[in-house]
Amino acid sequence: MIEIHLTILAIAALIGLIASYLAITEKDLLKAVGYSAIQAIAYAIIFYLLMAPDIVLAYVAIAVGIYSALLIFIIGKTERYEVV
Amino acid sequence: MKRLIGLLILLITVLGVAFYIAQNITPPKDLHPLGEYYLENSYFGEHSAKSPEVVTSILWDYRGVDTLFETAVFFLAIIGSLTLFRLNKEQAEEARQGQPKPQLPEPVVVVTKLTVAMILAVSASIALHGQLTPGGGFQGGSALAVAPLLVIAAYTKYALEKNGLDKTRAIIIRSIGLLGIALTALTPLLANGYIMQNQPIFPGEALGVPLGGSLVLYNLFEYLAVGAGFTAVFLLLSIPEKKFKKFLGVRR
Amino acid sequence: MIALLWSITIVSLLATLIISVCGIVAKPNLVKKLIALTIFSDTANVLVVLLGYRVIYPVKPPILPQLSKTALGEFVKTAVDPLPQALVITAVVIGMAVNILIAFAIIQIYRIYGTLDVREVGKTLPELLRRGEA
Repeated sequence: MIEIHLTILAIAALIGLIASYLAITEKDLLKAVGYSAIQAIAYAIIFYLLMAPDIVLAYVAIAVGIYSALLIFIIGKTERYEVV
Repeated sequence: MKRLIGLLILLITVLGVAFYIAQNITPPKDLHPLGEYYLENSYFGEHSAKSPEVVTSILWDYRGVDTLFETAVFFLAIIGSLTLFRLNKEQAEEARQGQPKPQLPEPVVVVTKLTVAMILAVSASIALHGQLTPGGGFQGGSALAVAPLLVIAAYTKYALEKNGLDKTRAIIIRSIGLLGIALTALTPLLANGYIMQNQPIFPGEALGVPLGGSLVLYNLFEYLAVGAGFTAVFLLLSIPEKKFKKFLGVRR
Repeated sequence: MIALLWSITIVSLLATLIISVCGIVAKPNLVKKLIALTIFSDTANVLVVLLGYRVIYPVKPPILPQLSKTALGEFVKTAVDPLPQALVITAVVIGMAVNILIAFAIIQIYRIYGTLDVREVGKTLPELLRRGEA
């Protein structure tokens, strides 16, 4: 029975790895913000499976709500594309 | 295309290393003795905090001074942000001129009204029963911070200011929250206790509901402080960039 | 099987940590550095909470379900460690406050220097110092 918990934990950790790699190597900054939000949702699932309900409440509001809004405000006031 | 090849190499490396070290790892099965002490003593023990929620009692009772300094760090960060975007009196007056006209279609505006009302109720509920179920001051305050963001997006920021919630009022609410935390931390000194003492001094139960002593007061004031701090930050961030360029005299 | 799944979780979180440090160091755009910094601090928090988990079944969160002494014995046998969770709540809120300050500083740098590229800022600043303006 515990294999089900651990399987979903491993899948969520792999999704977090893929989303953070795509966020860091993306040149359009709005898409990078979207990938960062996907990584935050994967980490919220990991916190739920590790039996930490207090952290899930704080983390979903902060990482998916406030960080995404803050980054969109910054991109609106500066440039959208990254120059490498 | 190069990114996807890099991603595949990364995944194969991760799975290979995981297969290789899987023989040497034993997943943990026991608790540390300190964790067991907190689990036993939180409601029924001799050093109890009268609260069945162990994480909140660690945050505000057993390690209360850590959380007090964390609130101080949060306060300093908000002050630093407000100082970087400082405006003098005429500039602040000019930043408030504008038309509170909603710029999105009608169904979006109506749904935003309903959602903001629900967010206010749910976040107050999360913050106030932090001593019985998962929740508490920080969680409720972060959830409350989403509500002015939605109002700024659907209506403009001028609608929020014309209804009375400008930057000065947000700072006043935050100061009330921080003053409440300081007073609740210093009250046990009047009864010969120590700073941030919880249990013999504050009442543990009221009308049959476990109150957790001073935990419910700390949660309420932290909720006000965190929510109002974020509101002040978002009100400053949403001043349009044309006005700031005029204030700073930027040549570009 | 259980050890394999546990080691996949730990190795993929460590790989995310390494990628985000590469992202902070190697990308010259300031907003990309901020995104990589948030990923780094979130992964470090997940690793701390992972230290407190117990791989048994049934496993419960650290909240006492009924206020009676008979529930207490079973609670201590099946609950996870509460101390890393309290430390991580503190760390999440402090990280967010510092990131808000960094965001304000980025906007102010863009207004003064006109660019978000740290290489350009590094070239412009000695000119301004030599001319006596900065």
